[in-house]
Amino acid sequence: MTLAPTSRSGVSTSRRRPSAARHQVLWTIIFLAPAIVALLALRLAPSGQAIASSVFKAFPGGLVPPTFAGLDNYVALFGDPRFVDTVVRTLVFNVIINPLQIFVALLLAVLLVQRIPLDGVWRTLLFIPVTIPIVGSSVAWGAALGPDGPINTLLEAMGGNPQPFFTSPTQALAGIVVIASWIGIGYWMMFLISGLQAIPGELYEAARLDRAGPIRTFFSITIPMLRRPLLFVLVADTVSNFVLFVPIQMLTDGGPQDSTTLLMFDAYRTTYEYGSRNLGAAEVVILTAIMLFFVLLQFRLLREEKEKK
Amino acid sequence: MFINQNRPRRTAAASLSTVGVLAVLSACASGGETAGGESFSIPDTDPTATVKVLSQLDLAKDNMQSVVDAFEQAHPTITIEWQTVPFDSLASTIDSRVSNKAGDPDVYWADQPRISALSARGMAQDLTEVFADAGDAFDPGAWNTGFYQDRLYALPIENSTQLVFCNLDLLQQAGLTAPSAAIDDRLTWEQLAADAVTATQGGAQYGLTFNQFDRYYQLEPLPVEKGGSTGVTGDDGLTPDFTSDEWVDALTWYQSLFETGAAPKGMTPEQTDTAFLAGQVAYTVSGPWLLPQLTDAGLNWGVTPQPTFEGSDTVATPTGSWSVAMNPFSKHKDAAAIFMNWLAIEDGGGYIAYRSNPSLPATVEGKEAYFQKDLFASPAGQDAAAIIDYETANTAVARPSTIGYIEFESILNSAFADIRNGADVAQALEDANDKLTVAWAKYE
Repeated sequence: MTLAPTSRSGVSTSRRRPSAARHQVLWTIIFLAPAIVALLALRLAPSGQAIASSVFKAFPGGLVPPTFAGLDNYVALFGDPRFVDTVVRTLVFNVIINPLQIFVALLLAVLLVQRIPLDGVWRTLLFIPVTIPIVGSSVAWGAALGPDGPINTLLEAMGGNPQPFFTSPTQALAGIVVIASWIGIGYWMMFLISGLQAIPGELYEAARLDRAGPIRTFFSITIPMLRRPLLFVLVADTVSNFVLFVPIQMLTDGGPQDSTTLLMFDAYRTTYEYGSRNLGAAEVVILTAIMLFFVLLQFRLLREEKEKK
Repeated sequence: MFINQNRPRRTAAASLSTVGVLAVLSACASGGETAGGESFSIPDTDPTATVKVLSQLDLAKDNMQSVVDAFEQAHPTITIEWQTVPFDSLASTIDSRVSNKAGDPDVYWADQPRISALSARGMAQDLTEVFADAGDAFDPGAWNTGFYQDRLYALPIENSTQLVFCNLDLLQQAGLTAPSAAIDDRLTWEQLAADAVTATQGGAQYGLTFNQFDRYYQLEPLPVEKGGSTGVTGDDGLTPDFTSDEWVDALTWYQSLFETGAAPKGMTPEQTDTAFLAGQVAYTVSGPWLLPQLTDAGLNWGVTPQPTFEGSDTVATPTGSWSVAMNPFSKHKDAAAIFMNWLAIEDGGGYIAYRSNPSLPATVEGKEAYFQKDLFASPAGQDAAAIIDYETANTAVARPSTIGYIEFESILNSAFADIRNGADVAQALEDANDKLTVAWAKYE
């Protein structure tokens, strides 16, 4: 926006500047208002509500007023070994799935920026899972990995044993990782491809002149130059995996034997299925705190990167 | 839980002859003070009022228009304003609309397992003073679902039960004889499981299916027949009781079905009726809603009562379905009571008499008319009618009356699924017990 009028108008600038500044502030507010209102109504208010709700105790249903319970809900949650298991399971899940997705996405992105035939076709194919509603892909994967599904048929045809997949407490979470990655990898790959394409060609040329091999080039040029998009992908992917919900709700319902009960799903189940909305709110607060911790950690990495520059 | 979800649309429109009038009306003439909302009565002359009714049933699609028309004809000064919401949002709609105390709706459809919770939360009118004497009109299992802490809060309008249907061609193919339909000649679960394995060896794709695998409604009879409880004890109905030896025994038998191949592991409740109708299943434990489809499918079928365990002299069958309840903030309670009385009680229930595709009625008189339908004309149909009649009157065990039913059912269903998938039975029940204790802590 252009601002301060100049003295060309012949009016003393000392008198016009404050009004122009006010003008600017006004327009800034007007333009930012929708975003701020949305942020307040859709992010901060529900978070505040969740925090408030988590320190009360109430009967389900709307007629009986809730009573203040302090930190009782939190004490109850952390006193329940099943909940602690759920938190640990959620952390382990994220420690595995995020690096896995980003590593594969990066591998594919590097592959697809090479001069290979039909690169557009491959990119499209890898991106297609993102465009399918997650409900649809969950149903399809559920059928594919069912006891009589095509994957087991294929396994048997190749002489292997049919696998229980979602009905086995040791395989179900891995199944969820596969579905989430099938969708996620193509999506994050697109960000990394654009990041790769933004790396100036002369850097690679210089590396070639210095006789750097492809591996050295990758670690000394590609990775450092890709650091910022990588960090963005890391943050966004982490958040999306912490709140992963649909495949769990549709395919395993948190089972078998709680092996796929992650914190987000548990908060939903506690709130809606079991009708314990205050306990559920406490779970949401805990989940948000864990997520914020990781996101802040990642932003810290981003800042260090800036400072180094 | 909507237990009749697999029920087909019945096309045959049959109007029922109304036989006799119940004497309950005389008892209803006096009103009374009640705890849940202001008192009301069924007056001798009809008031002029509009009664708002909230249901998951649609006027056109679910053949409720004929019921409303018949009521308005019988009670011209009372108008029915019908409101339909999908089943999935019925509970939350009742919660929010009753809570705002505006008195809309006046009458609502109540899922029977939720009645205790609705009553405890003050969302259902206490009907005891006006309707408590109407109990004789109903099958006891259905009637009892309306009570919470000895007060009546809802009137049942339909019911359900389970019986074993068999595919006689598949049985013959495996060299099995058709089981008897006589009540005194009940199979044992052990025998049924063994026969199911034989049937699969004889060519049946599946030996035995339960209409609702892994669901409490279906499996409740197993521990009860072993001598266990329904899973809940305590005066307040908030003490879990499903880790006993009886429960472990019953569910160990359930698990063995899948280990021996008597029953399929991966099949969902939504697939079971279809599989039986397609001729893939030798025996299925299912509800009366399967009958019209059987007639259409052209199967050679027979029925036998639901079994009990070897050596057990207890027989238990699932029961329950829908009731109607009154909003305690209703401004037209007398008119609402007239409607509920007409719908559930008069002449076996107007809901049954005037709906062209009624479900199994909850009243004794309604059942008489129901069994006159063409559905029950064949010899196998006659057998089914006799079994349904007997079980609903004698062996039905209602789901427990607890304000925490929803959590109870949801947690147990997960445990059943884990057991079916091979989890250690005692451990799975212990885990469920711990989870339910946490989920019920909010009621303390």
